[in-house]
Amino acid sequence: MASNGSAAESAPLAPAARERRDEWTPEQQLAHVLEICGAQMQSALRESDLAIETLLQAFAAFAAMVRDLEALPEELKKAMPAGFTGQLASVGKQVTSAVVAFQFYDKLTQRLGHVHYSLSTLATFVCDKSQAGEREHWQCLLATLERLYRTQDERRLFQRMAQGLPADQASQPIDETTPASAPDKAGEIELF
Amino acid sequence: MSESAREARGQTILAVDDSAPMRQMVRYTLEGAGYRVVQASDGVEALEFARTSGVDLVLTDINMPRMDGIRMVRELRALQAYKFIPVLVLTTESGEDMKQRGREAGATGWIVKPFNPEQLLHTIARVL
Repeated sequence: MASNGSAAESAPLAPAARERRDEWTPEQQLAHVLEICGAQMQSALRESDLAIETLLQAFAAFAAMVRDLEALPEELKKAMPAGFTGQLASVGKQVTSAVVAFQFYDKLTQRLGHVHYSLSTLATFVCDKSQAGEREHWQCLLATLERLYRTQDERRLFQRMAQGLPADQASQPIDETTPASAPDKAGEIELF
Repeated sequence: MSESAREARGQTILAVDDSAPMRQMVRYTLEGAGYRVVQASDGVEALEFARTSGVDLVLTDINMPRMDGIRMVRELRALQAYKFIPVLVLTTESGEDMKQRGREAGATGWIVKPFNPEQLLHTIARVL
């Protein structure tokens, strides 16, 4: 499932941190906290994957039933209670919206995969004193993390925050175009 | 049955994606329009299928384990039976550089997720 991303993106958190767990340093503690955050995220994703699987099965059964009803002969549809055809068309539209909405779960899991990888990279980075003490290495780290991003939303959020905007302001224009406000919003299509 | 469903009868589409929900949404959409759908969960699986079987169109994700979509498209184009088959990329990737790599690999078109079922069917009908 895309939720777990590529092998690199789901690599265990901060092996460097784990090797030196017996040392007590602020950096080791920070790495440990990041590791806990990453593990929590992975655990929640596994749980969600199971829930989505159940939802998908229910959706498939429901959608198949709608299709069967849509395929009924016209005479039979006319014999149904008043409003049947209109209700069926409305449900059909909702099924189409659900097809789009389900795909946002794929986007979510992919983005969380990138967050998980970023936390892992950060945990390793802060434990390496030769890197963490150098300003330009932090710039390199940020550039590396930016290259992970695949979606326009991820890039826009990163760039707005890199320009100094706080998280709530940086994400505002992105939130306005997410499923809650535009459930049918689909991506662009280009033929070469 | 819609017009596209009548036209689609007998045509087979190979859908490649590592996400089970995505494969299910694609299959639901395409089968509803009358296409036959075969599925693969990454580029390696898709190529294994392609070496022994033909399809009318390939719809593929980009970011997948084992073999990504760009490499898969390139290797598909090296197979005689897949030289001129339409290959549409369906991905969250929206960057121009990646799109350019897809074009160079031999992709026919680029669809950014999430797809709208009607638009996807319309696009497929255009390239088939």
